[in-house]
Amino acid sequence: MTNKPLLLIALAIGFLATSAPLIAHHGATNVYDFSKPVVLKGTITKFEWLNPHNQIYFDVTDEKGTVSHWIAATEPPQVMIERGWTRRSLKEGDEVTVYIFAAKNGAKVGNLQKIVLADGKELTAAGPAPAAPAPAK
Amino acid sequence: MRNRLMLLGSLSLGVLTFSLAVSAQAPARGGSPPPGAATAKPADLSGDWAPDGRRGGIGQSLSVSDIRGAKRGQEDDIPYLPWAREKTMSERTSTGPDPQFGNTTDPQVLYCEPPGVPHIYLWPIKHRFVQTPEAVYILHELGPFYRVVWMNAKHPEDPDPQWWGHSIGWYENGDTLVVDTIGFTDKTWLDQMGHPHSEQLHLTERYKRVDANTLELRMVIDDPGAYSKPWNAERNFTLSKTGFLRYQQICSVRENRRFEENLAKPALPGK
Repeated sequence: MTNKPLLLIALAIGFLATSAPLIAHHGATNVYDFSKPVVLKGTITKFEWLNPHNQIYFDVTDEKGTVSHWIAATEPPQVMIERGWTRRSLKEGDEVTVYIFAAKNGAKVGNLQKIVLADGKELTAAGPAPAAPAPAK
Repeated sequence: MRNRLMLLGSLSLGVLTFSLAVSAQAPARGGSPPPGAATAKPADLSGDWAPDGRRGGIGQSLSVSDIRGAKRGQEDDIPYLPWAREKTMSERTSTGPDPQFGNTTDPQVLYCEPPGVPHIYLWPIKHRFVQTPEAVYILHELGPFYRVVWMNAKHPEDPDPQWWGHSIGWYENGDTLVVDTIGFTDKTWLDQMGHPHSEQLHLTERYKRVDANTLELRMVIDDPGAYSKPWNAERNFTLSKTGFLRYQQICSVRENRRFEENLAKPALPGK
């Protein structure tokens, strides 16, 4: 029993470590912080459905009323279609909660983990988790 | 007597140098269909095949031991010749652990050139096989490009080096498509991590549907111009039911620049 929380933590770290490359073809572990997503409440200003990666533009307003402009990337359209997205999944004015693996250097850009719409609908950007390695033969 | 020995020595050296030069430029010979291949039962490759996210996914490297490209140049399953290792390490990749999208030397991103094969199997796209008795057409969502695999045919004696090479194929065991390709240009990378090849590359691909939803591709990379011995690579695919080519993965310099300016460049360390 005492080992269970440790095992869960180890599994979670393993999942994050191995799933990061699946999240972004052009994303990288030394550029984006895949250890935990930054959670931002914002408003969609533009959604570009294009190669080599979709681009989601959104504004975040802090408690002082200062607006910052963010951009999140996803895999390209043909991959996001596999994950249930369409070019109409997001539109200007949508109020959203964005989970983003942000740039380590502090720039307001990153790789999308998921987006939650105002009605609670979740759009996941990440791919399936890899299976456990096969036992050695 | 002494002069004669020196002359013989010089001649031997000359012959050796010439042989090495010829050997370095000799075209790959490739394989040929085994007897009876023309009447073999075709493999069932129907369906649309996407990278299997649970078995390697899109991947960065052809190295089976280093799919993510973390050990570039030091993989224990790639038998580099010295120049090939140096060339690999001199490249700037657009993806992987240290991506330099805006400053990459990847010819597919830099020039929007065809990735060739097997590099195309490290892209997040689907593939479809159109099987006819004369040829198997392999269609790709990137490009969109296609390859023609001439069934039960022979390679030309001295094929012109081309982006996709010259491919012949045959079926074996009733469940596998064998594709044998030579005649590659040396302009493409083998994968996202910049592994090079020479015009001597002889690529053997075996496509086998191991169950209704899974396609395995096993490859042998035989390139004496770049690697000291043949080595194995693999990709795995899963059946997709969302439709083929619902979106075309076009390489556009304009769209690449937009991604670079908006997302890649601002995120670079030190920016």
